[in-house]
Amino acid sequence: MATRTNALRLIGIVLTAYALLVATHKGEFWPFSIYPMFSQAGNPWTRAVVREMPPDTKAASLDWSAVPFREVPGEPYPLSPKNINQNDVANYVSKTETWTADRVHGLRSLFTKNRSLSAPLYVFRVRGELTGDSVAVAATPVMLIAPDSTYLNPSPQARTAGRTVADPADEE
Amino acid sequence: MSARSSNQFLDTLGRHLFGADGPETRGDRLYFRIVELFILGYAVWFCWDWGLYIQQNISSVLLPLGLANYVDVSFLFGHNVALLNAGLVALLGGLGFFRFWRPAYLLALVAFHFQYVARYSLGEISHGSNLIGMGVLGLGVALVAFRSESVRRRFTFGFLYFFIGLGYTSAAVCKLIGTGIMWPDGRHLLMWIAERKVDTLSKFGAFEPNVLQEWVLTDYHVGTAILLFGLFTEAISFLMWWRPYRYPVVLLVVGMHFGIYVSMNIFFAASTYFLILLSLPWNRVFDALLETDAPGLSLSDVLPRRRTRASQ
Repeated sequence: MATRTNALRLIGIVLTAYALLVATHKGEFWPFSIYPMFSQAGNPWTRAVVREMPPDTKAASLDWSAVPFREVPGEPYPLSPKNINQNDVANYVSKTETWTADRVHGLRSLFTKNRSLSAPLYVFRVRGELTGDSVAVAATPVMLIAPDSTYLNPSPQARTAGRTVADPADEE
Repeated sequence: MSARSSNQFLDTLGRHLFGADGPETRGDRLYFRIVELFILGYAVWFCWDWGLYIQQNISSVLLPLGLANYVDVSFLFGHNVALLNAGLVALLGGLGFFRFWRPAYLLALVAFHFQYVARYSLGEISHGSNLIGMGVLGLGVALVAFRSESVRRRFTFGFLYFFIGLGYTSAAVCKLIGTGIMWPDGRHLLMWIAERKVDTLSKFGAFEPNVLQEWVLTDYHVGTAILLFGLFTEAISFLMWWRPYRYPVVLLVVGMHFGIYVSMNIFFAASTYFLILLSLPWNRVFDALLETDAPGLSLSDVLPRRRTRASQ
């Protein structure tokens, strides 16, 4: 009986710490969480996709405007075999409000830290939204990562998530 | 709720979470040590996996999580520090498992926490390791607070069922607050399938929907049924606190995880395997395999008992 009381008291202490930490840290203080994943259903989402461009691609000759997702240029650049987490790339392109030198370096280093590039990589922000009973998906170029330099979308609005851009979209 | 009914509730809850169900058997002890080893094995695996990733890919903090709000965790980004930290977790895990040092598990949890906040400092908030982290916490509190192995075992299982049930029910509450009662609308699943398509293309360069996804894409009402099942399962998860409902509820949660895997290609491997370990009375299976339910000694008991006597 005393053991059960002690055990319950310990649960109460951990529960109090749990509640205080998640309440003061936006619902997350690992391993404590309120588990908010998938709670914002139906809202537009933003992800990222990376395409490998021909080696002779010049940033100045690229069209930096948004395209329907199925029309993204270049070849697939699968991240998993390179041991790059796609969520990390998506976080850079969806949560960056200002592309400071640190942010640019951080995203570039995901692809270049301890490895070299043979061709430029074109990084797209992909946005999906519900339109009636289907999902519209559009991709906006954010950055071209060439072997020797990095180029941002010349439009400050287009390269930053959350800005309103007249994206053409695929219906999924 | 009056003080008396509140006390009755706590008494019942304490009995269902921590009460003994007969004399302790060899199956009970073997089952606990397997669960303990599973938690530690996964914790060490996470830390090594994240350590390699941190070393290879991460150079800046985009979103500070947990203790990274107060401590600059960039010291983990180079010079193999993240790998050394993973080694530290393995060492502390070993010290705790063999009962050489009682604070070992709680210190391992701190190192595990630093590894997590360094790995996810780029903004992704992953929940794949939370249950394992709670497992290390439960084991750590048990090791520090109790001297009897039997009590540690019962406390750890009660702790796990309590916080796992609470976590899943919290997830259901978040959905109802974040979206409302229309959360199970099947069109929301269309959105998530499209999102997973982009993620899968990004990861592997190709995506092929499975039969269930094709079905949902053809008729979103199928998605409504799937989401309703998920929300219902999460909402009733706290019922695992009470023994008569425990195994059916945990099995439902396992089923929900398989549903998430099939419909959205998201597999919470550690959580699913952990829940499978908690979803059936494996101790009784071990008793049957050992062909006895009589109390007896095992290596796992001899080691801690020696430590306990020595420390008294």
